[in-house]
Amino acid sequence: MAKMSYSEAKKELEAIVKSIEAGEMDVDLLTAKVKRASELITFCKEKLTTTDEELQKLLEEMA
Amino acid sequence: MVEPSFSLSELNRQVKNAVRDALPEAYWLRAETSDVRVNRNGHCYLEFVEKDELGHAIIAKARGVIWGNTYRLLSPFFEQETGQQFTSGLNVLVQVTVDFHELYGFSLTVVDIDPSFTLGEIARNRQRVLKRLEEEGVLRLNRELELPELTNRIAVISSPTAAGYEDFRDQMENNPAGFVFYTKLFPAVMQGERSEESIIAALEAIFQHGDFFHAVAIIRGGGATSDLSCFDSYNLAANVAQFPLPVISGIGHERDVTVLDVVAHTRGKTPTAVAEIFIAHLTKTATELDVLQERLVSRTQGLLVEERSDLLSLSNRLVHHSSLYLQRETAAIQQLATGARHSFRQVLQKEFAYLQEAMITTRHSTRRLLDEEGHRLIQAKRTLQHSSRVELRDERHFLENVEQFVRMVSPANVLKRGYTLTLKDGKIITTSKGLQEGELIETRFRDGDVTSVIQSTGLPSTESEV
Repeated sequence: MAKMSYSEAKKELEAIVKSIEAGEMDVDLLTAKVKRASELITFCKEKLTTTDEELQKLLEEMA
Repeated sequence: MVEPSFSLSELNRQVKNAVRDALPEAYWLRAETSDVRVNRNGHCYLEFVEKDELGHAIIAKARGVIWGNTYRLLSPFFEQETGQQFTSGLNVLVQVTVDFHELYGFSLTVVDIDPSFTLGEIARNRQRVLKRLEEEGVLRLNRELELPELTNRIAVISSPTAAGYEDFRDQMENNPAGFVFYTKLFPAVMQGERSEESIIAALEAIFQHGDFFHAVAIIRGGGATSDLSCFDSYNLAANVAQFPLPVISGIGHERDVTVLDVVAHTRGKTPTAVAEIFIAHLTKTATELDVLQERLVSRTQGLLVEERSDLLSLSNRLVHHSSLYLQRETAAIQQLATGARHSFRQVLQKEFAYLQEAMITTRHSTRRLLDEEGHRLIQAKRTLQHSSRVELRDERHFLENVEQFVRMVSPANVLKRGYTLTLKDGKIITTSKGLQEGELIETRFRDGDVTSVIQSTGLPSTESEV
């Protein structure tokens, strides 16, 4: 997931939520999907609110 | 004869008088400002120029002055009306008196200004530039770009010392939601003739960093209104319009929409407003995420509740139907058992009745049979007794007759009556056939036997009766 872009993560999340809402989700799959969705949410939230030191460094080194 | 002549001052005074006499009033003049400068005393000196149709060659030029006391009134009025500082490069409509000074020569003294003309000129220029961009098909290119959901790496074009830049950074860094922004300043001159070139250079520098950035902010410090003409420039607008990242403009003026504002992806009035746009965008992004999370949670919970209730309902139905089934089966079995017992009893009763009847019948008919047989036996006995007696009597008769007959036919009796027996080889013979001449035969009489030799054989000569 580390290399995933925000929009990719969001798209995947949307797809999961939609399929759960559509009632297509098998209960056996539900747990795994919800877990994945939670990871995606965490990932997205981190992108929004946690400073990426690597990015910060890149920015500072920019001429 | 010496011709009359003027000293220079005499001549200049003549010119001055002639000009004053010929052009005694104040006149409205259309011209472009150039070389505008204000000295320490507050007097404004400038050049008025007129260019040819292509806007290249200067075809007329005159010095101008706005005296301090006039300028102090006109300048703020003009800025207020146009949103534009009174500066070089403006097309203006000014009321001037035409003066000729012996020492300073020809000059136009500004006594009034009509800002609406300049406004019109600016607007016309903008329309021209926008029309050209439209014709070239680039006008909406930047507007059509999509601001990525996660827009937090922002290249900022600004003067590094501008108050507006500080406002922008403050706003971004202290956003209440705690969003992370990565901003990088690309310094540029934001005012005057060099600004166009400088901003374009900054855009090119940003372009060098490829897709690192999500968006560009072009901001300019707030404060007093100032020269906006560079933001109406075709070159800058064409660069911004075709820039591959969304450009957000915030060049610090409320009223005018410059060409830059039109081509930019989004226009913020001030640098602070630009920061708010970025923050609002991330807020929207975060909200969408929250909504998704909410939907996920509620739907998942809903699903689990549904599943649980489904299971419960299934199990209830199972129990219900099982017990119903059991009840039904039990009832059926009981009914069967009752039925079976009943019919078994019936069968038994029937069989029993039948047997009893049979027994009675049997006994009855047996008795009857016995009776009948008894009768018959008695009858038979009687008959027998009766017929025995008869028969015995008859038998006795018969036997007496037989005895008599037997007695009569016994060989002794027969022999007595003259009959003889003929024997051959000890056996009685009754025929003459087979007898040969010379053979011996015996003849038995009542009182003894004789042996004879056969002399001849043949048929008897007469039939004799016995």
